[in-house]
Amino acid sequence: MNLRLLASLVVMLGLLFVACNNDDDDTANPNFNAPTLSAPTGVTSVEADGSGSVDFTVSIDSDLTATYSAVGTGVTVTNTSGDVSGSTVTINYDASSVAGAASIALTVTDSEGQSVSATAVLNITDENTIVVTSNITSDATWTADKTYILGGRISVESGATLTIMPGTVIKGEAGTGPNATALLVARGATLMAEGTAQAPIIFTSIADEITPEDVAAGNFASPNLDPDINGLWGGLIVLGNATISASNDNNEDISEVQIEGIPTSDPNGLYGGNDDADNSGVITYISIRHGGSNIGEGNEINGLTLGGVGSGTVIENVEVVANQDDGIEWFGGTVDIKNAVVWNAGDDAIDTDQAWAGTLDNFVVVTPSGSCFELDGPEGTYVARHTIKNGTVVAIFGGRVTGGSLIDVDDNTPVDMENIHFVGPLDSDGTFLTITDDEVGNTTFTNVTFDVPMGDLANLMEQGGAVPAGISAGGSPVADVSVLSWTWASQAGGLDGL
Amino acid sequence: MKQFLTFVFVLTITMTAFSQNGIVRGIVIEDESGFSIIGANVSVEGGGTGAVTDLDGAFSLSLPVGTYKLNISYISYQTIIIEEIEVKDGEVNVLGEIRMREDAEELETVVVTAQAIRTSEAAILTIKKKSPAMLDGISSSLMKLTGDANAVEAAQRVTGVSIEGGKYVYVRGLGDRYSKTTLNNVDIPGLDPDRNTIQMDIFPTALLDNLIVSKNFTADMPADFTGGLINIETKAFPDEKIASASVSIGYNPAMNFNSDFLTYEGGGTDFLGFDDGSRDLPAGAAADVVPTPISVIGGQFTEQEANDFVSSFNPTMAADKQTSFLNYSASVSIGNQLQLGKSEGANQDKGTLGYIFSLSYRNDYTYYDDVFYGEYQRLAQSEVNELDYANIQEGQIGEQNNLIGILAGIAYKKANSKYRLTAMRLQNGEKRAGEFTVDNNGSAVGQSGFLAVSDNLEYNERSLTNILLNGTHVFGDNGWELDWRLSPTLSTSDDPDIRRAGFSTNGTEPFTINAGEEGNPARIWRSLSEVNAVASVDLTKNYQFKDKKAVLKFGGRYTYKERDYEILQFDVQFFGGSQSFPSGDPNDILVPDRIYPVGNVYVQSGNIFPNPNEYNSTASNTAFYISNEAEILPNLNAILGVRAENFVQRHTGRDVIHAQGGDGNNLEDEKVLDALDFFPSVNLIYGLTENMNIRASYSRTIARPSFKELSFAQIIDPLSNRIFNGSLFTYSDWDGNLMETRIDNFDLRWELFQSRGQLLSVSGFYKSFDNPIELIRIPTQQTSSEFQPRNVGDGQVYGVELEIRKSLSFIAPSLQNFGLNLNITLVESQIEMTEREFNSRENFQRDGEVIDDTRAMAGQAPYVINAGLTYANPQIGMDAGLFYNVKGRTLEIISSGLYPDVFFRPFNSLNFSLNKKLGKDQNTAIDFQVSNILNARLERVFSSFEAEDQFFSRFSPGISFSLGVSHNF
Repeated sequence: MNLRLLASLVVMLGLLFVACNNDDDDTANPNFNAPTLSAPTGVTSVEADGSGSVDFTVSIDSDLTATYSAVGTGVTVTNTSGDVSGSTVTINYDASSVAGAASIALTVTDSEGQSVSATAVLNITDENTIVVTSNITSDATWTADKTYILGGRISVESGATLTIMPGTVIKGEAGTGPNATALLVARGATLMAEGTAQAPIIFTSIADEITPEDVAAGNFASPNLDPDINGLWGGLIVLGNATISASNDNNEDISEVQIEGIPTSDPNGLYGGNDDADNSGVITYISIRHGGSNIGEGNEINGLTLGGVGSGTVIENVEVVANQDDGIEWFGGTVDIKNAVVWNAGDDAIDTDQAWAGTLDNFVVVTPSGSCFELDGPEGTYVARHTIKNGTVVAIFGGRVTGGSLIDVDDNTPVDMENIHFVGPLDSDGTFLTITDDEVGNTTFTNVTFDVPMGDLANLMEQGGAVPAGISAGGSPVADVSVLSWTWASQAGGLDGL
Repeated sequence: MKQFLTFVFVLTITMTAFSQNGIVRGIVIEDESGFSIIGANVSVEGGGTGAVTDLDGAFSLSLPVGTYKLNISYISYQTIIIEEIEVKDGEVNVLGEIRMREDAEELETVVVTAQAIRTSEAAILTIKKKSPAMLDGISSSLMKLTGDANAVEAAQRVTGVSIEGGKYVYVRGLGDRYSKTTLNNVDIPGLDPDRNTIQMDIFPTALLDNLIVSKNFTADMPADFTGGLINIETKAFPDEKIASASVSIGYNPAMNFNSDFLTYEGGGTDFLGFDDGSRDLPAGAAADVVPTPISVIGGQFTEQEANDFVSSFNPTMAADKQTSFLNYSASVSIGNQLQLGKSEGANQDKGTLGYIFSLSYRNDYTYYDDVFYGEYQRLAQSEVNELDYANIQEGQIGEQNNLIGILAGIAYKKANSKYRLTAMRLQNGEKRAGEFTVDNNGSAVGQSGFLAVSDNLEYNERSLTNILLNGTHVFGDNGWELDWRLSPTLSTSDDPDIRRAGFSTNGTEPFTINAGEEGNPARIWRSLSEVNAVASVDLTKNYQFKDKKAVLKFGGRYTYKERDYEILQFDVQFFGGSQSFPSGDPNDILVPDRIYPVGNVYVQSGNIFPNPNEYNSTASNTAFYISNEAEILPNLNAILGVRAENFVQRHTGRDVIHAQGGDGNNLEDEKVLDALDFFPSVNLIYGLTENMNIRASYSRTIARPSFKELSFAQIIDPLSNRIFNGSLFTYSDWDGNLMETRIDNFDLRWELFQSRGQLLSVSGFYKSFDNPIELIRIPTQQTSSEFQPRNVGDGQVYGVELEIRKSLSFIAPSLQNFGLNLNITLVESQIEMTEREFNSRENFQRDGEVIDDTRAMAGQAPYVINAGLTYANPQIGMDAGLFYNVKGRTLEIISSGLYPDVFFRPFNSLNFSLNKKLGKDQNTAIDFQVSNILNARLERVFSSFEAEDQFFSRFSPGISFSLGVSHNF
């Protein structure tokens, strides 16, 4: 008897739970439930001139019948009206030839005259647009006749080679945090992105209306975005197996760390090793724009991130425009870069960490929001020197002022700076930009010139300190900008007079 | 064990109608075991009326006004005569617990006064000394005597119990993972769903029947505790009419009436513990694409829609100074029991009806004016021992906490059946505002170097609804007893609209928003809901084994839990142009002039759908047990039992790569835990003398990963920016396969019981942990602070425990009202390091430092000291206590090499409480308390070889005072 009681209590309890789900009130008609209708969540993609169908979920009072009517915007609906049967209404449509947003509005009316509407959002994609959502695990080639949309954080995984043809446009979808998009070349993977001065490879945001046709026509500037708009997508991250100075070097175990901007939930973000001649591929004539979205507090993606990239990798003729974090950042490694422009970085322009052992040769930096140079030393006992030479820096231009230091080195930064000129003026509202943040210890300067009067040179030093050897007033731009004429910065006049 | 169960119907008590009447109630229990005696005879000396105790051992007599003597007898027990029982018109005289001792040979009679029963030995004695399981507890009679206001105050009288934060109760210094709290013997999730234990300050003692702490496992208990199981039992049948009201105020000089208190404009119902909707997610925010300049360019939205979207976010982003008021609380409790069917001439037992109801409200202010969060690193140079800072965040936090609690219960009992229905609802809202300065050290590893200010606004809204339906039945004389329980619980914990905004202040431009430094302003919504359902059946059979009493228990329990969790996050972004804010006021960020397209501010979504930060997990646990208790040899009692638990946890969730459309990891209701475990338990108790025992026990228990731990969630703490990663991520040498911890427990104890509840015991224990789970700082992540729960190497814990509860009358008889409670536990714990951990420690080895391949277990304190000096004088209705508690330096977070180990420093907690009853009938009570008398600080520190400790976090709770008055009508 008591077990029976127990069983009936269990049933009652169950009914109580079920009952809680049935508290929809239908104020419209007390006798019949109002119809309900829902469109699919999210955006359905369809190719231009293609066709497709959308399923709406509907519920009608079991005692009633209902009809539907559908109106398409940007698409032509082929079954604009009909009777509702079952719990699904399928609307078929033909997409127009114009890429962009489209929608289908569906109205369901029951035999009591109660009606409900819902709208499905469509996105008509250019048939020449390819949305990339999966990691690249086997060799792939991206060609200039199509635009590639990065639908997320796409990794080229170890062993795979991604070849990008000259003139190809790659666009990252918008998002922040886990939703940020980026192209990551993992350790052991290869990126062959060999653009040309006539047909550079453009990495930009989905908001950028630039097309491969624009690039083919020689118009490398964004038709619709200003060159200071940043943070719209992530960036290009290349990781390798070269040495990094991330800790004591008495054990090989910690020779790998996780790259800034990628959470540890993604092991493709690990970099570092002991192969200094490692080859991550060839990267030439690429322009990276409007990137730098963050994944968390102070954890952003640089325009071009190079983590432990080895000297077998070729990187030449690179432009980074309007990145929310740093322009180019090296984390150890041995790779060199020749011919680079960093324009309107949201943080530092040139950033080095973990004892990068390479050379940056011939470059122009224009108005970063952070420091022009943020140069850090080894984080372990492994020490290697890097060289930054033949550069021109424009710290103040067109209303933008460098927000950080001109040069920020730590007391142990092993860097040799040679033939670098800072274009004047270097004083904003009577406040001079400073050269260094910390003591200059391990850094050498050779022919580093500032276009300020001789008497103002000491004012550039932090707290009016002594001027290190190799730094002088005067001078003139040293970078060879003729090889940078392909860049947006050059086309926009940003390199004029340099 | 004594033969305490014979099943007899409660006799009807016929009321004599012609005179004024009062009621006498009491509960008859067996002295040694503490179990109720069913069927004892209660008779009025010289009168015809009498009663027989019911299945709770309870009796109730209605007598004409006068003074009586009661005779209580039961076969083979000493007869007890209670004198001087006064019966007043319309009043209930509650005798409390009447303890009967077995005495087969002499059968002598004990004579006591009613006053003595209530106030002395019997009431103070709390230990169920011959109970084969190691139990300690507090009964309602003791709580009544001491005047403790809530369950926490009562619990601190139990030896071996530590109180954390004035709310949570732990046993033997083992952390939350190894403790468990149940309410009326069923699992309920706490208000903080990530804890195993529930906050106990919400239970008024007036409604508690008892509070039992079990230190070792027997088969009839859930197997997922190792340190201690705390069960709170609410009253079903109040002894007497309760109609009480209480108010109290609290004052902390650092926190109350403080004009620097931080808060922000919230919703209109914040004071009731829930949000009125003003923090709701803006419409359209949970979509794949939100209106932004980018989606405007893409043609999905108009500029106006983008503008409206940003404007729909509450523009308040700044913490506000406002003077805090006193802490205050109020509660009312009512309850009674009614004898049904006692109408004149009726000779039919229609049973007893009991009810309880309690409503309480609390408003507390907390203000910390020197909050510190630090990240410190070891330097690369092995000859340098001192640590260098990576990031320091200092500031102030103001918290306002509102709690409403409602507890209601109704119970009905007939001669051999008892039913009760209890419902509880807790609603809690905590509004928090903080202001910080940040100093990030550019020369530290992975840091960019900047100075910043930041404001944080949070609101945490929690609720808990629990229903319990319970029945107990005894079946005549055959020794069978059945108990069944059904208990659903719904709990929620939401953080609607967490807001943070920071400005960089270094360089020439003050107050800029720099994504690479303090980051963009952010808005976060988190929601959690959990359903728990428990059904259990327990059967008990009393029988004879070698002419001695023996008990066979068996039963089953089914527990189902389901949790839904989601985080949605948004960043304030700038579409080109200036990001400087001359005012430095976070409230100037979302102003109309700055919002796109007028300005350049827009809000970007950090969410993908399906959301990688959303999960659904279920767990079902089907348990059966059988346990037998018998005196197998003279004076040697044994409980042998085994419990089987079939535990299946399922998870629906995915990682970011899958959510973005790639392969990645995706679990659709897949089993992440599936194990059938057998948990044997052997408890032996050997009675050396009547008051001295030796106990030995072995049991196997388990600690399972929580829902959050077995997920793909990545949860950022908006205050400290530390990120928790679910363990399902495979990373580096971690295989993403988090397993349960299985623990073998061995206990040996010698104990001596003396009069008036005095106790002396010495125990030794050993526990071996297979695959313990610890929170690991991910060594390869050097840019931000990320943590992940992982199985580490096997662990062992061994320790000794000394418990003393002693009246100070041995010093001088005049000190007989003073008592000393002392519990000292010394523990040695050891974990075998994984190779990875050993290597990363070796990487950062300092010159002269020796790196061992074992270390202490995280969360295990090396020692715990609980001491209490109490004064109890029931004659004048006064009770006072000074309680001290400290836990040794405890490893909390395991080093990653670069970042050293984090330890919790000993918090020297000293609290004083005083209760005084006033009035002729002692119906009014004053409760005065001082907490944290030593003004200790809560400190967690980084600790490295021969380096000065550096703070990981630091709070000063200050000294607080509270004064309460309660009155029973």
